[in-house]
Amino acid sequence: MMSLLLDGLIVVALVGLAIQAITGQSLFRGIINFIVFGLTMALAWARIGAPDLAMAEAAIGAGLTGALMMVAYRRLVADEDGHVPTPPRQKSRLAIPIAVGSGLLVGVIGLGALLSDNPPGEAGQLVLETLPEYGLGNAITGVLLLFRGLDTLLEIAVLFTALLAARAVAGTGDSSATARTRHPETPLIGALLAVVIPLTILVAVHLLRAGTYETGGAFQAGAVLAAAGVLLVLSGRVSRTPSAGPLVRLGVLAGLSAFILVGLAPLLYGEALLTLPGMWSIYLIETAMMVSIAVTLILLFADAGGLRRERRG
Amino acid sequence: MSLQDALALIFLLAGCAFYLAGTVGLLRFPDVFCRLHALTKADNVGLGLVCVGLAILNGQPRVASMLLLIWLVGLLAATVSAHLIARHAHEREAPQDQELPRR
Amino acid sequence: MMDLALPGVALFLLLNLVAGMLRVYRGPTLADRMLAALLFSTTTVAVLLLMAEWMEMAALRHVALLFVMLASILSLAFVGLPSGTDEEES
Repeated sequence: MMSLLLDGLIVVALVGLAIQAITGQSLFRGIINFIVFGLTMALAWARIGAPDLAMAEAAIGAGLTGALMMVAYRRLVADEDGHVPTPPRQKSRLAIPIAVGSGLLVGVIGLGALLSDNPPGEAGQLVLETLPEYGLGNAITGVLLLFRGLDTLLEIAVLFTALLAARAVAGTGDSSATARTRHPETPLIGALLAVVIPLTILVAVHLLRAGTYETGGAFQAGAVLAAAGVLLVLSGRVSRTPSAGPLVRLGVLAGLSAFILVGLAPLLYGEALLTLPGMWSIYLIETAMMVSIAVTLILLFADAGGLRRERRG
Repeated sequence: MSLQDALALIFLLAGCAFYLAGTVGLLRFPDVFCRLHALTKADNVGLGLVCVGLAILNGQPRVASMLLLIWLVGLLAATVSAHLIARHAHEREAPQDQELPRR
Repeated sequence: MMDLALPGVALFLLLNLVAGMLRVYRGPTLADRMLAALLFSTTTVAVLLLMAEWMEMAALRHVALLFVMLASILSLAFVGLPSGTDEEES
């Protein structure tokens, strides 16, 4: 009974925060609402028994995206002297009917799904049965790498493409501007970094290793590492350079190339594409993906520091 | 209800009281510095009490040390955040310590 | 008994969070709104730890640790912002 109330409150909070975030009273309020929405979403994932998703949501949705939006706000919206221009208020008359219509659609579909009998989940059953053969304990890692490896490969490719696109846009910006916080020489920040960065690296490596049998995996580990990198960028310890050095480029490409190479290799032996030969290949791919995801996210964030607002007129 | 449960419950309720105090401070104090003060101190003590209660409830030393670690890193993060935000606010406005809240 | 108490405490903390949102609404400075994000961090960590206990999901403690490690990112990103005591335009 108490948990029902809790779940109900989470749902109400989610809807309320979402509405608040986009009804545009003031941009900064919308940003805070969005961040809190991400946090509440992480709680919702935890409630329905998906700790992997809660981890990813907390690290990326609330942490990275929140920081990214604040930096973009600083660069694009607020002037140098602190004056925030009025956002143009254009509410379409279709807004409310569309919102209500979408809500009804989701409600009808959800109701239909709840009322119908559960179809026998064959794929899920198969996954859970064959998982021990490969020595894996975490069904999510199994699905991501073994059973639906092509999806993951394409996702890494998408991430890479996004980085290229972002670099193309932000590369035209102010190269001397960074995402650095004010007073980066504050001793407290140094103390924070001294404790948090090593801890984060430890946790990331643990998550990478633990992904085979419990919550974790390449994506979570990469997101955690990326957050550490973002901390370094924000505190000015790592700055953005107009063109990335060779090591950085290697990091970005590592995940994609490792996955492609290991995936193509079975063709030489007459096996199907992407049949992974063993645990070592899983570790290799996961490590490479972790590095790539982390470097890509850090680069995406650091580039935001170079955004520049178009001066009109 | 065993002694372990009762003790844990006491700590959890105490933690709740501190969280409530922090929120009341956030809503009722006159300016941003007082609110920051209330928030960081009360909320983190609340978190510590909740951690103690959960450690008692769970009983495994491994879990208890994890909870301790979480609380300590939380303290560090709250300290740095409070300092940064207070400094930011101080550079931009004078505290309204001339006015007392009306009752 | 504890099955009722732990979700109850979590519920109470979430209600606290909702009440704290009022400060986001009223402001007046950007820093005040940022305080809400601070409140949410500590509250969410506590709720995650409570959930880890009553749902018996140890992984949630890892999520809470992650969360608390990254809590300072938002503050660091915030303090680079230019001043703005009141950004309400209409």
